Amino acid sequence: MTMLEYDSAQRSPPFVDEFVQLLRYRDLVFLMAGNILKNRYKRSLLGIFWMLLNPLLQTIVLAVAFGALFKSTLPHYPVYLLSGLLAWSFMTQTTQYTMGVMATGSGLLKRIYIPRATYVVAVVGNGLVNFLISILPLALIVLVLQHPVSLSWLFLPVSILILAVFTLGLALLLSTASVFFNDSIDIYQIVVQAGFFLTPIMYPPSVLPEALSGWLVLNPFFLMIELFRTPIYASAIPDLGLIAAAAVLAFATLLAGWTVFTRQADQLAYRL
Amino acid sequence: MIQLDNVTVRFRIPHERIPTFQEYAIRWLKRGIRYTDFHALNDISFSIDQGETVGIIGPNGAGKSTLLKVIARVIRPTLGRVRLRGRVAPLLELGAGFDYEMTGRENVFLNGAVLGFSRKDMTQRLDRIVEFSGIGDFIDAPVRTYSSGMVARLGFAVATDVRPEVLIIDEVLAVGDADFQQKSAARIREFRESGSTILVVSHSPTSIKALCNRALWLEHGMIRQMGPVDAIVDQYAPGQPSQ
Repeated sequence: MTMLEYDSAQRSPPFVDEFVQLLRYRDLVFLMAGNILKNRYKRSLLGIFWMLLNPLLQTIVLAVAFGALFKSTLPHYPVYLLSGLLAWSFMTQTTQYTMGVMATGSGLLKRIYIPRATYVVAVVGNGLVNFLISILPLALIVLVLQHPVSLSWLFLPVSILILAVFTLGLALLLSTASVFFNDSIDIYQIVVQAGFFLTPIMYPPSVLPEALSGWLVLNPFFLMIELFRTPIYASAIPDLGLIAAAAVLAFATLLAGWTVFTRQADQLAYRL
Repeated sequence: MIQLDNVTVRFRIPHERIPTFQEYAIRWLKRGIRYTDFHALNDISFSIDQGETVGIIGPNGAGKSTLLKVIARVIRPTLGRVRLRGRVAPLLELGAGFDYEMTGRENVFLNGAVLGFSRKDMTQRLDRIVEFSGIGDFIDAPVRTYSSGMVARLGFAVATDVRPEVLIIDEVLAVGDADFQQKSAARIREFRESGSTILVVSHSPTSIKALCNRALWLEHGMIRQMGPVDAIVDQYAPGQPSQ
């Protein structure tokens, strides 16, 4: 092993340094992401099948409850519902998880040096894997309902990348907030709950009264969901304007999140 | 070599604890937030040569653990400069860095990654680590089924498998049963003879004297005295029998 030199007075800016360290510790990030997955399903009988079953069951319940309501406006309602739901759950569940993870990881973060972003990146990575796996049950529903499949599906990797970038940025911002203020976790939970009903996930945007639908473009979650849902449900590539807006939003969020997180990272060991 | 120049670690403590955003906003609107500064380390300078074994002593709250954290890169000094050369390996408290649902084998990789080793490295060293720990067939059982001694042995085996240039020991000398204690003490001696620098925090004057050649006496975040271990420890804890 090469001789490492540490000089607290000579360090590249945290913005860069954290990234370099994260690359060095990449095996740790992968291990942690994998362990979250393993832990979650280790002691359950159906194991990994829960990941496939869960979205299916959720869709069936909601489709039975609301399917009749949107029969004319949204044919193949389960496809509309599940594609929106998967994108929504990926973004919100992952960010909610990261807010708790700084506290879970504090034992280690206080005792030994590891890149402070390790936990956040691992959780988002794990969420991304879950998201990818849950596309399988979605595909199953598409096949069963004989929903048309077009080449627009090839756009999905771009959608997923933009969603992941946005989620990582948001996760970094929120996990920083969670270290400084305990109640930020509760506040965010309320935002997510309200957001689920305020965002057209279960219903089409046309249902909203005109006064509200004008504000919809300001809902970042809606942008992201549309980006993922359009290629699947509408068999079309999203508007160029929508793609551009979502991409700019996602990368701006990541930039902001990374800046805030790495600037506060030195404080974390004091605060946790 | 470890060198500290005028190192200060300052904690800002709000006058009243403000745990929520709501309260923070209210306070901020009212009149701003007042802080008290607490100096966990206050303008500390010293240097330790390669191969030295230094015991850090002092009452609770003197800044011993903070000093170790500054050296281990966990905390960055508020002021001053820390320089050192080589890999720093802290011996972690029992179970830190372990995932109790995972098997011992999976935890060897996890612990290794926490210490900054790659997966490839750990694959090569797995057998040696398992052998030293004496865990045997339990290596494939979840760590939650281990006794605390077994967890400690495995942790020690991973942390010390490769000789670090700087070893940090914070009150975790007594690991495992008598047999393993001998084995671990022998390994630490071996490190010392091979040129590792060792830092020990302990409240036991006897073990400090047995292990160290120099002692650093901290009080209120400042160096009270630093010098040959016997002289310092005898002043710090008079009446304790010397060996």
